Amino acid sequence: MKIFDLLQSGNSGPVCRDCVHFENDPAIIEKTYPGLAIMSSGYASVRDCDGICNFNDLYLSAHDSCPNFTARAGKADR
Amino acid sequence: MTTTDTETTATRSSAWKELWSKEDWWAVWLGLGIVALAYIFYLSGSSISWIAVSPAKWSTLSQLTGQFAKNGIKYLALLVVLLILFTIVVSRIGQKPKDFIPAFTFVFVISTIVYSLGSWEQASKYTLEPPLVALGLGLLISNLIKLPRWLDAGFRVEFYIKLGIILLGATLPFTLILWAGPVAILQASIVSLATFLTIFFVGRKLGLDRRLAAVLGAGGAVCGVSASIAIAGSVRAKKEHPPVAISLVVIYAIIMIFVLPVVCRLLQLPAGIGGAWIGTSEFADAAGLAAAQSYGGLAGSHGIAGSADQAVAAYTLIKVIGRDIWIGIWAFALALISVTYWEPSETTSKVQVGQIWTRFPKFVIGFLVASILTSIIIHGNTLAEYNKVVKPALITPITALRTWAFTFSFFSIGLTTRFRELASAGSKPVIAFTVGVIVNVVLGYVLSVLVFGHYWSTIVTH
Repeated sequence: MKIFDLLQSGNSGPVCRDCVHFENDPAIIEKTYPGLAIMSSGYASVRDCDGICNFNDLYLSAHDSCPNFTARAGKADR
Repeated sequence: MTTTDTETTATRSSAWKELWSKEDWWAVWLGLGIVALAYIFYLSGSSISWIAVSPAKWSTLSQLTGQFAKNGIKYLALLVVLLILFTIVVSRIGQKPKDFIPAFTFVFVISTIVYSLGSWEQASKYTLEPPLVALGLGLLISNLIKLPRWLDAGFRVEFYIKLGIILLGATLPFTLILWAGPVAILQASIVSLATFLTIFFVGRKLGLDRRLAAVLGAGGAVCGVSASIAIAGSVRAKKEHPPVAISLVVIYAIIMIFVLPVVCRLLQLPAGIGGAWIGTSEFADAAGLAAAQSYGGLAGSHGIAGSADQAVAAYTLIKVIGRDIWIGIWAFALALISVTYWEPSETTSKVQVGQIWTRFPKFVIGFLVASILTSIIIHGNTLAEYNKVVKPALITPITALRTWAFTFSFFSIGLTTRFRELASAGSKPVIAFTVGVIVNVVLGYVLSVLVFGHYWSTIVTH
């Protein structure tokens, strides 16, 4: 079925988490979005490991990917 | 190792890492640890009441100073224990203990004053409800005095509120959750869907980007700022979308903290019904608890029927069980819609099924486990035994610690709300969100009062 083609249970290929343009440090997210910590938190489970893509100017999941992926030097598990 | 193997290993690794890097899990470990300790003391014939100190009712200043002269060492011990535990938590999630320790000490001292003020026998006469006093004081300080930014390390609203909710679970029988849970889910789902669709379609009609409309809609419908930021990530919102939703949710949530209890009081709603309405129509957990606890504080006087516990329990059931736990489902569904219809060409990735779990607010697990544990311990006691033995030795100390956690949170909301720093939302998002707020409040009233009122007014909290 077509809908199942859109779903993914794990990761494959390069993802935003390992991209040089991606930033998801909770402290930096809280600083970037003043007010986030008033009634939520950069460290909350609901935020998963989402972050900001400084290339596309998007706020998105660390599991996302795009053609502009550029590997981070010495990628860490974030 | 193939790329897929590497990625799977990384995913497993970050799943384990979440257990000590997220506030939700730390709230669970700490909350259940406190509950377990309370049970151990209780089962050994003792109690944690020595450390779980709280101001008793007082009517003259000499009574209050007498209390502090007698219990000063207990307050100091509580501060030291909380400092040690909380410092471990904040350092594990990556914050600096040297910033946290003075900041939390400040929060504790002011919270002690607020808690004491709330124990004044005339407090409710002058509407000095502790949550509102804590919030108001925090707002005054943060907006009139420029506190150093490093103090923010101690103003962890979400951590304190999650810890408090888990401790609240330990004071609620699990049978109540089973009994009221389905109604809470039904009521909250109706209002959540109606609010989301209203904000989304009004926003679209006004020309807002679909993703911004969805981020705003989730903020109004599900769990406030947390929902907005979760949906922003799942639908790949533009970088500037989350601050718009944050501003609107925060401003409306703070307005509702003051307005909803006043309207409930004018309508003389029983405490349980007031709590249910606040749970349906407030936006964020901490804000709603401030409103529900304030209204509950009026129960038994001012012509308000019911008890303070009923207001808080009804609120929590609707908000936590009815709304919060579904955020993963919302994120998954909206992500699917986003990649299918909204922005199919924006990225090359697919929708992660796992986000239903990864975005699940894990503190709810602590809330449920704490409730189950209490129910097992209490099982077999008669009501007389419960009131004579279980309540003073086990439930009252946990309730005192819960009140401390909530007070820290309410004061921190005020301290972190700097209106000048909130992003400008623009007229179209304001209109869309405001229409959603109106639908939310009216529908919340109809369901809480007219449809399920008999249900919420009679909930049994012990």
